[in-house]
Amino acid sequence: MAEVSLSKVTKEFGAVSVIKGIDLQIADGEFCVFVGPSGCGKSTLLRMVAGLEEISSGALRIGGRDMTQVGPSDRGVAMVFQSYALYPHMTVAENIGFGLRMTGHDKAEIAKRTSAAAKMLQLDHLLDRKPGQLSGGQRQRVAIGRAIVRNPDVFLFDEPLSNLDAALRVQMRGEISRLHQDLGATMIYVTHDQVEAMTMADKIVVLSAGHIEQVGSPLELYHRPRNLFVAGFIGSPKMNFLTVEARPAPGGAEVTLPGGAVVTLAGQIAVAGQMTLGLRPEHASATGVGDAVLEGTVKLAEHLGSETLFFVALSDGSEIAVKADGLASERPGDRMRVGVPARACHLFDAAGQALINGDLTR
Amino acid sequence: MFPTPIQKASPAARIGYQVLLPVALMIWLIPLIGVAVTSLRPASDLAAGNYFGIPSGLAFENYAAVFRDSPIGWYILNSFKVTVPTVIGAVALSCLTGFALAVYGFRANLWVFFAFVAGNFIPFQILMVPVRDMTLRAGMYDTTLGLVLFHIAFQTGFCTLFMRNFIKGLPFALIESARVEGVSEWRIFRHIVLPLMRPAIAALSVLVFTFVWNDYFWATVLVQGQHAMPVTAGLYSLNGQWVAAWHLVSAGSIVAALPPVLMFFLMQRHFIAGLTLGATKG
Repeated sequence: MAEVSLSKVTKEFGAVSVIKGIDLQIADGEFCVFVGPSGCGKSTLLRMVAGLEEISSGALRIGGRDMTQVGPSDRGVAMVFQSYALYPHMTVAENIGFGLRMTGHDKAEIAKRTSAAAKMLQLDHLLDRKPGQLSGGQRQRVAIGRAIVRNPDVFLFDEPLSNLDAALRVQMRGEISRLHQDLGATMIYVTHDQVEAMTMADKIVVLSAGHIEQVGSPLELYHRPRNLFVAGFIGSPKMNFLTVEARPAPGGAEVTLPGGAVVTLAGQIAVAGQMTLGLRPEHASATGVGDAVLEGTVKLAEHLGSETLFFVALSDGSEIAVKADGLASERPGDRMRVGVPARACHLFDAAGQALINGDLTR
Repeated sequence: MFPTPIQKASPAARIGYQVLLPVALMIWLIPLIGVAVTSLRPASDLAAGNYFGIPSGLAFENYAAVFRDSPIGWYILNSFKVTVPTVIGAVALSCLTGFALAVYGFRANLWVFFAFVAGNFIPFQILMVPVRDMTLRAGMYDTTLGLVLFHIAFQTGFCTLFMRNFIKGLPFALIESARVEGVSEWRIFRHIVLPLMRPAIAALSVLVFTFVWNDYFWATVLVQGQHAMPVTAGLYSLNGQWVAAWHLVSAGSIVAALPPVLMFFLMQRHFIAGLTLGATKG
């Protein structure tokens, strides 16, 4: 059993507060992803779980044991670094077996576990090479192998794929997911890439400026973002934000869109005023199908083959991205009627908190 | 490219370079060549006042005479007895101090480091009398052990500066990664940091070996008798034995200069660039 729990964890570097009171429960066997823009403290938080950064206040428990003051070597965790951190003077086999050798395992056991890990990661034929003779993807696999052999309760990944090229990243993403299924261990994974977060996580923790914005499953965050930050961060291309006038009405909230069209959202709001309407590009319709229509001019069309992404300038000067069929033929300069489906619209108050979520799973 | 390679510079610059380089080389080598030529000069040349002219013959027997007529073998042995333990002591100590200063962020870290660096700026000549008194009271005056201990003390400052900066340049993630793997600090030092320090250890060994081998000052201050006299100071006593026997002193100097040169060639294969290749991204 290796659930990880943080309560009121903070970190200060001198007078600067980087982590501002984190409460988080990660269940045994869960794949948890810390995601956020650079500088949000996600790597620091991971290093605090690893024991590489001291915890200024609060408590950390791993597998029910208090680990707040325990050194990194005694926490039963394994970590994969962004820079791989392979020992350059050792072969792949020595790199993988090093931790076991240093902690007094016998030779036969080390050899057995090393070859098992190497087989799992398809490193068998590279065991005698030095890290300098490996490609980026191979190095990353060695780094993961070094973590696997120790049978840790908790795996920590610090942006492990950010130094790889796009194709390799997709492949390694799959391999790490498969590894999680095979091992069933608790994994904490840090990334700034929301696609990695969405594809791999059981639970995503969105961080910003040292505090948690929202915790939830990928689809929960996609459909029910709690605030503007999460709405804008999760999803690609990112959610459109339109400044609108909204007021309470008998059937829900009546929203006046740029250009004057009115759409009524199901849900209650207390007061009228200027608010932000959120609509994902994939939910807007390029063919004008919806509960309201926005008139605009196509500024830019990105043809991706499977789909086309239009950037449409509205009458009030704001811009909206619309994801359309791959065969859509509109060109820059053409007029476009963008359909707005009411049930996919999110409404945020002036403080950025979600009042109504356009949750399509309802 | 800056600076422009000399092959691509203007003809005037190229000619100037080709003329000036050998001249500069000659000026730089004159003392060495002088000593080498003198070491092969027959004694009669010096007696006749031919100090700087063409030697009248090559007297290889000067070298034989140095070994036959003086205890230079014994002096060289003394030099080894002083230099080798000093190199081992100073380099080993500075590996440890350098590791501590580079890896651990303890409170007084920077101040301790400054103390090591500042020690290098003290002109050691002003310490002559106190150090001699100290050695005398410690009962180590006129022994190789006394010389070794004081050399280690004086060399460790510079060595620590060197090692600390070298270890700072290693990827810190290697140490963190080993820590998470449950490796003790001593084993991290022994199995990860030390192997990667090979080029630094080789460079520093050659440097310290040369410094200490060539030391004349402390050898004359801390040693009096022949039994502990290193070769640098021993050569001086050669001069007293034969009045102004420059040809023998020169031959002795050449012999005495060989071990540091040998040391350099022995260590050369350890001066490897890119030892940390593949440790991190790239």
